Amino acid sequence: MLRNYSRRSLLAVTTAGLSFLAMPVAAQDWPTAPVHLFVGFPAGSSPDTIARIIAEPLSAALGQPVVVENKPGAGGVIGVQQMLAQKGTGHSLGITINGPLTTAPRLIDDLGYDPANDIAPVGLIATSPLVLAVGADYPADDATAFIEDARENPGDISYGSVGQGSGAHLTAELFASEAGIELFHIPFQSYAEVTTSILGGEIDGGFMAPSAALPHVEAGKMKMLGITSAEPFAQVPDVPVLAGQAGLPEDFRAELWNAFIAPAETDDATIQMLNAELIEILGDSEVQKKLLAIGWQTAPGTPDDLSARIAQDTAMWGEVIDKTEAED
Amino acid sequence: MNTLDGLAHGLSVALQPSILVYSLFGALLGTFVGVLPGIGAMAAITLLLPITYYISSEAALVMLAGVYYGAQYGGAVASILLRLPGTPQSAVTTLDGYPLAQQGRAGVALFTSMISSFCGSILGIVILVLLAGWLAEVATMFGAAEYAAMMIMGLVAAATVGGGAPSKSLAMVVVGLILGCVGTDVNSGAQRFTFGQTQLLDGINLVALAMGLFGVAEVIANITKADRHGPPDRITLRQLLPQRNELRRMVAPIARGTTLGGFFGALPGTGSTISSFLSYAMERRVSRKPESFGKGAIEGIAGPEAANNSAAITAFVPTLTLGIPGDPIMALMLGALVIHGIQPGPMMLEARPDMFWGLVASFGIGNLFLLILNLPLIGIWVSMLRIPFRWLYPAIIVFICLGVYSVRGATFDIVMVAGIGAVGYLLALASFSPAMLLLGFVLGPLIETNLRRAMLISRGDPMVFIERPIACLFVVATTGLILFATCKAIFGSRPQPKDEATS
Repeated sequence: MLRNYSRRSLLAVTTAGLSFLAMPVAAQDWPTAPVHLFVGFPAGSSPDTIARIIAEPLSAALGQPVVVENKPGAGGVIGVQQMLAQKGTGHSLGITINGPLTTAPRLIDDLGYDPANDIAPVGLIATSPLVLAVGADYPADDATAFIEDARENPGDISYGSVGQGSGAHLTAELFASEAGIELFHIPFQSYAEVTTSILGGEIDGGFMAPSAALPHVEAGKMKMLGITSAEPFAQVPDVPVLAGQAGLPEDFRAELWNAFIAPAETDDATIQMLNAELIEILGDSEVQKKLLAIGWQTAPGTPDDLSARIAQDTAMWGEVIDKTEAED
Repeated sequence: MNTLDGLAHGLSVALQPSILVYSLFGALLGTFVGVLPGIGAMAAITLLLPITYYISSEAALVMLAGVYYGAQYGGAVASILLRLPGTPQSAVTTLDGYPLAQQGRAGVALFTSMISSFCGSILGIVILVLLAGWLAEVATMFGAAEYAAMMIMGLVAAATVGGGAPSKSLAMVVVGLILGCVGTDVNSGAQRFTFGQTQLLDGINLVALAMGLFGVAEVIANITKADRHGPPDRITLRQLLPQRNELRRMVAPIARGTTLGGFFGALPGTGSTISSFLSYAMERRVSRKPESFGKGAIEGIAGPEAANNSAAITAFVPTLTLGIPGDPIMALMLGALVIHGIQPGPMMLEARPDMFWGLVASFGIGNLFLLILNLPLIGIWVSMLRIPFRWLYPAIIVFICLGVYSVRGATFDIVMVAGIGAVGYLLALASFSPAMLLLGFVLGPLIETNLRRAMLISRGDPMVFIERPIACLFVVATTGLILFATCKAIFGSRPQPKDEATS
């Protein structure tokens, strides 16, 4: 897998230099028809909203309609599968969260694709940290006290996630293992259920998107103890970063992200052109504002940056999965 | 702002021409998609979502809400006339609505369903206005143990409502429970009965199951039947109106259905399908003539239809007061609000009173509009029966395929609905009740995940079901139901209902 990955990045580096020359040709050849943007989540979900925010300016730039195709299911995997079922002519593209590109091969049998070989990364779109939220009655007021509490009562503190292997689950397990504590996992199916359970005092807390916790924090029913990003997050500037606190490593970071992808056989010139358009769109302050309003910080970069991020996260979450599987 | 001020303010918002038009458009569209088998509120709201980016947040919300409750009206039409539920929540209306239509009283059945839907909605609005805060509190008091205990009670209470032989009903419930196991196990993440199909990881699609069992199976069953001869008589106003004693018989079921639906609607994760099934079960239990159920009992239409409409209104309680969507459609609506920069939550009522009260007022106006619209439409709906089978049934199959596909854009689900339809036809031939299968399928996963979650949270201590007062109440009630049924079976001399009941 790693070998293939480096071959791909080598290819990308060489073609990046040539792509400038190739672009005028590609501009004539592509796109010749409406572009379909596959999203593995239903209409109204946050990946879908991101896709629609991108689709509008992208359509204007390409001069062809960009149609968002919702193919929800299996944590976003169906969207990627459906994109790959189409021809890689640059008319079938996708927007996906991190799961289908990083943890899915570990969690789903018969996945039907290999992220390293079958996907051509176009670029990262945006990232979202998670906050550690607990009920208002929970005795600890900051991460240090929380970890202290967990050390004294190993396995007593329960947290909710949106399922085995979900971002919320793996982030909590990573946090626990880095802090040297043991937390008790209760899987749910949606953040709505997790939040209700915390409000009802059934479980102690959980990792969730800042926007999910914020309304309850404002109502005085929840507390946010820390955030998983490297720097404070604009949506919740007062929440301290977890990195470096109470024995957590300085480089502790766990983020969800959304990325723009294409089938692997897509022409490299097309990928480069798409990447350039994407970076341009993400540079627009209106787009940044819209994304931040739903909890996402733009994170533009090259296809190689995305490849590197996929490899890095696959390795990081792979270790966490190894650990949880060993414990079960 | 007190309730009266709020309502007055809400009316001033909802009566603005621009808002009013969107509200009525939504309600109308909702009824229409509700009538079409398979295509439901989900598909219509998904299609409308992009439009909401360009209109005001109030207009967007009242329009989408209109589609949501409008669909509850339309769903019953095809259930009654053709035994094809327009939406899964109206599946139970086929049980008595269709027999009534067979007796030439389709107009009465439709009238009953419309008036019950309307009463259910209006009373649902009253519940929403008066009890929203309290219901939101109750909703957070319901943990895994309460859900599990309550759903087990629902299953016990409803397990034999389908009519026909109890053993056959139970067999179908069990099949439903088994089908509910398909997909990723929430606790372990294991993939159960998915046969390597990623499309099955999230379980069998409810719409595909309901449309296959009822819709496709019914179409197959009609292939062998001769077409109707001659046009049915025109419906006069007199034929449409129920007799006075029938009107009286509707009152109590509507009241009970509304209460039940109002409660279940407010609980995240339960909703209108369960409400309508449990309302039917309740009506059959409290009825002095349970044997009339399944043969065209007015109560069997009035209760469930009031329940699902009431649930559709109170479903907004957790969405608006806690920011917690109770079902996928609510999540979609929440998404539409978030796009407009509104984060519904505990502070919404204070932060955006115009939004909350405007929506409440639009519910009232929309429902009144739907009633006025739907009563004259009954004649037109009934005339659908005059369409020759060779046109009607192929058209229905097309709509079912469209509807099933629209849920998540999966071709796989169309293949599923065909297969399920074939099985459903065989089951119907052997007079097994598809309604019971659907009941097991809807309740099974809820019971399983909540039971296991409750045990996980209590670290394996079953006393959690006794120690938590609300859960304990349900456990006691369930035990009572089982004891009652056992005693009745041993000592009672209840006349066995004849086995020919259509189900």
